[in-house]
Amino acid sequence: MKKFASVMIAGALTVSGLAGCSTGNTSNSQSTSKNGVTTIEFWAAPNPTQQVYWQEVAEEFTKENPKIKIKVSPMKESPTSEASIQSAIAGKSAPTMSENINRGFAAQLAESKALVPLDSLDGWDEVKKARHMENTMKGWEFSDGHQYVLPIYSNAMLFGWRLDILKELGYNEPPKTYSEMLDVAKKLKEKFPDKYVWAKADLVDPTAWKRWFDFFMLYDAASDGNKFIEGSKFTGDDKAGVKVLSFVDNLRKEKALMTRQAKDPFETGLGIFTDIGPWTISYWKDKFPKMKFNDTYTLATPPVPDGMDTKNVKTFADTKGLVIYASATKDQQKAAMKFIKWVYSNPKNDEKWLEKTNLPPARDDLTTNETFKDFFDKNPALQPYAAAVPNAIPPMDNAKYNDLQTIIGREAFNPVVKGEKSPDKAWKDMKKAFEGALN
Amino acid sequence: MGHKGQGRLGWLFASPYLIYAVVFFAIPLIWSLFLSFTDWNLIAPTFHFKGFDNYIEALKSPGVHAAFFVTFKFMFLFVPMVIASSIIVALIIHGLPKFKGLFLIGFFLPYLASGVVSSLIVKGILSYNSPINEVLRNSFGIDINWLGSPFAALFVVALIIAWKFTGYYALILTSGFESIGKEVYEAALIDGVTPWQRFWKITFPLLYPALFTVLILAIGVTFGIFTEVYQLTGGGPDYATNTWQMEIFTKAFTNLEAGYASAVAIIASIVTFVSIFIIRKLLELWGKRNGWV
Repeated sequence: MKKFASVMIAGALTVSGLAGCSTGNTSNSQSTSKNGVTTIEFWAAPNPTQQVYWQEVAEEFTKENPKIKIKVSPMKESPTSEASIQSAIAGKSAPTMSENINRGFAAQLAESKALVPLDSLDGWDEVKKARHMENTMKGWEFSDGHQYVLPIYSNAMLFGWRLDILKELGYNEPPKTYSEMLDVAKKLKEKFPDKYVWAKADLVDPTAWKRWFDFFMLYDAASDGNKFIEGSKFTGDDKAGVKVLSFVDNLRKEKALMTRQAKDPFETGLGIFTDIGPWTISYWKDKFPKMKFNDTYTLATPPVPDGMDTKNVKTFADTKGLVIYASATKDQQKAAMKFIKWVYSNPKNDEKWLEKTNLPPARDDLTTNETFKDFFDKNPALQPYAAAVPNAIPPMDNAKYNDLQTIIGREAFNPVVKGEKSPDKAWKDMKKAFEGALN
Repeated sequence: MGHKGQGRLGWLFASPYLIYAVVFFAIPLIWSLFLSFTDWNLIAPTFHFKGFDNYIEALKSPGVHAAFFVTFKFMFLFVPMVIASSIIVALIIHGLPKFKGLFLIGFFLPYLASGVVSSLIVKGILSYNSPINEVLRNSFGIDINWLGSPFAALFVVALIIAWKFTGYYALILTSGFESIGKEVYEAALIDGVTPWQRFWKITFPLLYPALFTVLILAIGVTFGIFTEVYQLTGGGPDYATNTWQMEIFTKAFTNLEAGYASAVAIIASIVTFVSIFIIRKLLELWGKRNGWV
């Protein structure tokens, strides 16, 4: 009897111990097509406004389509959203679909056959047409000719200028070319030696994604949107690249760059120029009410090399989108596409998105569609973002984008900012390092 | 019940932990070892065996070289820092007439604090335009690039982690102090020993077992630093704070190179095991030579 009791206790302990390790995830096969209802898991970006949006849209959709149930949950961000997706795929608990996927990460997933090519699903062409995103989608074609991501928003990144300080220096609008900007730098240091043009610690940080918001913004403008990497080939514009690095080097020589960690350098006026995304506008509304558009600050496209056209300047697009995972069942994939089609066939859903998140929907007709007119009239600071959407270049679609962008930082951009390499040498070193990484 | 029966019962009661150890230590270790010979990224349907290529690549990598040296540099900064501060805290608490437990809890709290939160607070305190830096710059002409210069960045990380662990180690050392009998000190007092002699000849040797534990724990910590460097420096500047964990994380979860990251993890675990083993042996030798153990 004693022995039996011991066995039972030990068994119970073991089972309860192992049960505690369960993640609580149910497999896809269990949650799909039960009683004719297809359940799909949707991971929304870990951002309350985006979660609320998807929750509401999913509920409305299910009212009209009771045979499809959408379970919206926030994407885990520990340690990063990419890592949680990777772990989920490896652990066979990936959702049916998710948002918040950038093009580079999508390329990694696509190369690992973890994503469904959206253009292989019925209804894809209708989505593109109904949402007026045919032009936008052209830049999203992957090197294998497929479309894996439906971009939800496209943040054409802009540079913010402290208009109040520019005015004190005698300028009524931001400079547009490199030499104009260097003039501003000279005048700034003469009048305010303790201020800088660009105060940003990230300029010397080789972390891959940081290049989107310095190097690529300037490079896309200087090269008129050159693709930089196509497939597994470096197709960068040498002249434009060296010009960008020389420009940064000249700013350094003018002591106009500040690369130390600083708290809110632009908001405090320590720096007068910085990259700004549309999300910042609503953040400022709450945290920095003194930051007023066309008064304290203004927005501009990136400066370009002298002699270049200053209209329709290209810039980097911080853009993320929806994907459908290959681990989902055929029924789930079909249901997910039906949901996508339902959401994007009605511009009101994009209007709702815009109102909730302030992130410009990735569509060609953003500035011309009457649906969005009211919103942009009420939010003038977001108008320049909408206007720049057609000139916004998405990130590279190479699966090694992390390595490649780290190389840009480590070999070229960071050392030039620190004055450790000449622009020519930095560009050559970067290209040489690419040869190893791209093979 | 005979010996055989008792033995079986022992195994049975130990089985939950054994199963736990197999599931969470042995299987992942074998899995990681397997992965380290492949180019698999965990999600692709196919992978290739690469033999020792990942190991060769890792041994040549500047990130791995940095992780190796950063760990030891960090050890030389962190261990003396945390041992000194925890001895001081333990001495203060040991000398308190009342509420020792309450003060110990106070010092222990940083250990429970989130590394993310403390790192973000430190980031704010050390930013270029923070009040502390403004005062240093404007009043004393001192301008330190705390997180941007290699030594300062490592020093800051060591300081935060020392702050975090001081209370925990002080707890162990306080119990060490408490275990030293008063009569030993009374006898020493009669013999006329100076306070300095009292510390080196009585307190330190009797505290050695607790100190030994704390030293080994602190050395172990140096091989597992991640949150603070991830939040504060990202491993920079120029790999100056690139720890083993940082390197493994970057390769596995940023670059999706799980095979290569596994090879780095295996190398890291060998380095950790060998280092701790050698240090432990040296400490034991030191203790034995002085008759402390």
